[in-house]
Amino acid sequence: MVKRQTPTAAVEVDKASFNYKNIKAIDELTLEVPRGISFGLLGPNGAGKTTLIRMLVGLLKPKSGNIRILGEDLTRQTAPLIGYMPQLPALYSELSIIQNVNFFARVYQMKDKQQRAQRVEEVIKLVDLWERRNDSVMKLSGGMKQRVSLACAIVHNPPLLFLDEPTVGLDPELRFTFWEHFAELTRQGTTLIVSSHTMDDANHCDRLALMRDGVVIAQGTPNELKKATGKKEANLEDAFLYFVKREEKSV
Amino acid sequence: MFNQVSTIAGRVILQLLRDRRTMVLLILVPLVIASIVGVSIPEKQMLDYIAPAVLAVLILFFGFILTGISFLRERSQGTLERLMASPASKGDVVGGYLLGFLLFAVLQTMILFFYLIYVLDVSFAGALWQIIVFQIIIGILAVCLGIFISVFARNEFQMVQFIPLIILPQVFLCGLLWPVSQMPEYLQWIAKFLPLTYGVDGIRALMLDGQSLLDIGKEIGVLAGYAAGLMVLASLTLRRGAAS
Repeated sequence: MVKRQTPTAAVEVDKASFNYKNIKAIDELTLEVPRGISFGLLGPNGAGKTTLIRMLVGLLKPKSGNIRILGEDLTRQTAPLIGYMPQLPALYSELSIIQNVNFFARVYQMKDKQQRAQRVEEVIKLVDLWERRNDSVMKLSGGMKQRVSLACAIVHNPPLLFLDEPTVGLDPELRFTFWEHFAELTRQGTTLIVSSHTMDDANHCDRLALMRDGVVIAQGTPNELKKATGKKEANLEDAFLYFVKREEKSV
Repeated sequence: MFNQVSTIAGRVILQLLRDRRTMVLLILVPLVIASIVGVSIPEKQMLDYIAPAVLAVLILFFGFILTGISFLRERSQGTLERLMASPASKGDVVGGYLLGFLLFAVLQTMILFFYLIYVLDVSFAGALWQIIVFQIIIGILAVCLGIFISVFARNEFQMVQFIPLIILPQVFLCGLLWPVSQMPEYLQWIAKFLPLTYGVDGIRALMLDGQSLLDIGKEIGVLAGYAAGLMVLASLTLRRGAAS
């Protein structure tokens, strides 16, 4: 079993594995994410970040091992506790912004009409698209679609939010705005799990897991990981390469 | 459960209503096809024989293509994956699609029915509500078939290729133009395994012979059996496609 850092970890993964036919995507991965922080899964393309996130949101069943979310085994009952923003914007392009967000609010069982309408308005304002709420999603730019996708993921106020490469294709200004939203969410107590392959995103996270070939090769705060290299001016790219080399040596 | 189904159905309906061009085509195309059938068959007796079958064929065709392409887009755009990560179950998704598309199936049937009867002067001996109920059964079959087949397509072009493979053989062998009993024996055998054959037999019994739903229990049973089997297959394959 995973040795618990806190009795109330947001995510506990214990020796989970997943294969796509003969390719090992996740290999006996063990991980624990404390509550209320932004946790980054950092690694190159093909490292297994998206597969891990799909396992954590219940889309893929691990071939072996165990996954617990907020202290509970992953079942359909835990689905309302989770918010998920996939890599693609994943929106209904014919529908307007407000119709998309309202649909996901209803799917996530927000039954009270008045409360739902209030929350839908709140999240659309949060992503700064209220003026365009009646526009079809197909008329929006890539960055706007990402913002709508974020609104759909957080509309039901989930305590645990998975964001799969949320800033891919965004300009630096919008990326900054996104991270401001994410910081606000963690201040409110939401646990964020963000996958990324960019060092810029990684620097915003409270803790990081560096992934390669379906395993976690190192974990820690960005500063801890940089310090481990022994270099004064090291950045996270240096840290990643340092741990890759260390892993290769140990193999 | 029903709450999720109605939410998904509402979204499916809203999506189609907002796509005005598709809505216009959904109404116009069956009327154009019915008109072509009407003017190309001058003999009234022959038209009376073919027109009910056109109702069954069109509902299967449009149900299949609409659901297939909609579902394919759900998969390729990632919305199905998002839905599968939510509290909605596979059954909710299939149920939502069924409910959503059946509304259009009923609408299409009624428009086509009144056009055949009042514009093309096709004879009619049954009850409209029974025809609608029977058309809904064919519609359910079409929706389940569309969802299931969409698993095997990766884009719209591939999905369209399934029409000649899945729909056309049924159209040729269902008895639309000439009775199944007059076909070679081996074709009659194949026709026995195709659901549209029972769809066409059933709708002819209702419209031409004035029979009731109770008289066509065999046809309803076979269609319901196919629909149930496809619904199970569609539900089972739902996550596979969503995650791929």
